[in-house]
Amino acid sequence: MSEGRDKAAFEQRLKAAEQAAEGPKRDAAESDAGSARRAIELAMRLGVEMVAAMVIAVVIGWGLDKLFHTTPWLMILMVPVGMVAGLRNLLRASGDKTGG
Amino acid sequence: MAGPTIDALGQFTLTTGLGGLGRAVNFTNSNEAMLGAAVVVVLVFALGLRSRALVPGRTQSLVELLYEFVRNMCVDTIGEEGLRFFPLVFTIFSFILLGNLIGLFPYFFAFTSHIAVTLTLALFVFVFSTGVGFYTHGFKFLKFFVPSGVPSWLLPLLVPIEIISYLSRPVSLSVRLFANMTAGHVMWEVFAGFMLLLTASFGVLGAFASVVPLGLNVALAALELLVAGLQAYVFAILTCLYLHDAVHMH
Amino acid sequence: MRRVSTALLLALAPSAALAEGTMPQMDFANPLTLDQVGWMAVILVVLYLLLSRWGLPEIGKVLEHRAGVIAKDLAAARAAKVEADQAVAQLNATIAQARAAAQAEVAKAVADAKADAAAKAAALASQLEAKLAESEARIDAARAAALAAIKPVAAEAASSILLKLTGSQPAEDKLAQRLDDALAARKAA
Repeated sequence: MSEGRDKAAFEQRLKAAEQAAEGPKRDAAESDAGSARRAIELAMRLGVEMVAAMVIAVVIGWGLDKLFHTTPWLMILMVPVGMVAGLRNLLRASGDKTGG
Repeated sequence: MAGPTIDALGQFTLTTGLGGLGRAVNFTNSNEAMLGAAVVVVLVFALGLRSRALVPGRTQSLVELLYEFVRNMCVDTIGEEGLRFFPLVFTIFSFILLGNLIGLFPYFFAFTSHIAVTLTLALFVFVFSTGVGFYTHGFKFLKFFVPSGVPSWLLPLLVPIEIISYLSRPVSLSVRLFANMTAGHVMWEVFAGFMLLLTASFGVLGAFASVVPLGLNVALAALELLVAGLQAYVFAILTCLYLHDAVHMH
Repeated sequence: MRRVSTALLLALAPSAALAEGTMPQMDFANPLTLDQVGWMAVILVVLYLLLSRWGLPEIGKVLEHRAGVIAKDLAAARAAKVEADQAVAQLNATIAQARAAAQAEVAKAVADAKADAAAKAAALASQLEAKLAESEARIDAARAAALAAIKPVAAEAASSILLKLTGSQPAEDKLAQRLDDALAARKAA
C-alpha cells in the first residue's frame, strides 16, 4: 500500500526535478508577468517615441532648408511626416514584431 | 541675510574630479561616478566568483541572477544569435543600472542625467545595430525601410516615414533615460530646497512643516529606485530589439 | 553633428525651457560636457573587456557546471530508479518461477504416492485373491475327501441297520445304488 504511494511520489518528484533542471517554462511565465512588464515598458516609451520622430523630422527639414535655402517650407512640410513617423513608432512599439 | 534658493540644476554641473590629475586630463566628476559604477560591477563579479559554490551565496546569486536575466532578455528578444551580443548588452545594462543607482545617493553624480552621455550610448547602439544590419544582410538591409505589401505609389511617402522612424531611435532612447533621471533628481532637489526655504522663512514652525516635502522625498526615493531599474531595463531591451531588427530585418 | 544635436536638444527637452537655458547638461560650451564622453568610452571599453573576457564566461562556467551536476544527479536518480524497477521485476519473476516449480514438485510427489499406493493395493489384492482361491481349493478337496470317506461308513451303517431290522443281509449292489442316490440327493439339496 504505502510502498506503491511512495513509488508514485518518487516518480513525481523526479519528473518535477527534471523539468526544473531543463529550465522554467517561458510560455507560462510570459502570460502574466510578461504582459505587465511589457505594458510598463510600453508606457515608458510612448510619449518619447512620438516626440523623437517629430524632432528628427523637423531637424531634417531644417537642414534641407539650409541646404536649398527654402526656409522654412521643407521644415513645415516635414511636420506631418514626423507625426506619421511618430505614429509608426507607436504602432511598432505596441505591435512589436508584427509592425515590422 | 539672503535666504537659501532652490538650485535644482546645480547638481548636474560638471567639474573635474580626481584632483590635479583629473584637472590635467579633464576627468570629470561624472567620470568618477562612471568609474565607480564600473568598479562596483567588477567588484560584485569578483565577490560573486570568489567561492564558485554549487549552492550560491548571496553575492553569487545576485551575479547569477543578473547574468541569466540579461541572457534571457538577449535570447528572447534577438533569438539564439543574441548570445553574440550578450556581453555588449550586459555591459550597457550594468553600466546604466549602476549609474542610475549610484546617482540616487546624495553627493554622488548621476551621469545618466547628462544628455551627452545618454546620447552617446544611444548613438553607439544605433550605429552598432545599423552596422550589424549591413554586415548581416549587405545592402539588402536597405529593404528594411521599404514596407512590404503596400502599393508602389505609396512608397515615396512611406520610405521617408520609415527612415525618420528609424532615425528617431537614438533620440527616443537617449531622451527617455536622460529625462527620467533628470526629472527625478530635479524633483528631489526642489523638495529638499522647499525644506530649507520653509525652515528659513518660518523658523521652528517651518521646520515642522517641512515634514511634508521630506515625506514626498522619501516616497520619491522609492519611485526613483524603481525608475532607475526600469530605465536600465528599457534601455537594454530596446538595444536588444534594435539588434533583433538588424539581424532579422523584422 | 554637434550643432545638430544641440539644436535637437534645445528643441526637445521641455525641461530646458524650465531651466531657461542654464541646464548644465545643455552647456556644450563647457569642454567637460564632451570630455566626459571620451572618458566614458575608455571606462566602457575596459568594463566590456573585463566582463566579456573574464566575468561573464566565468559565471557561465559556474552555471554550466551546476547544470551539469544537476543533470548528472538526475540521470543517476533515473538510472537507480530503472535499476530498482528491474530488480523488483526480476524478484517477482523469480518468486513466480519458484512457486511454479514447487507446485510442480508437489503435484509430482502426490502422483507418485498415488501410483505407489495403487500398485501396492493391486499387489495386496492379487495376493489375497490367490490365498482365497487356494483356501477354496483346499476346502473343496477337504469336502470331496469327506464325502468320499462318508460312503463306506454309510454303507456299513446302513447294512448293519438293515440287518438288525430285517435280519437279512441287503444286496451289496442295491445298497450301493441307494446310497449313491441318497448322497446325490443330499448333495443336490
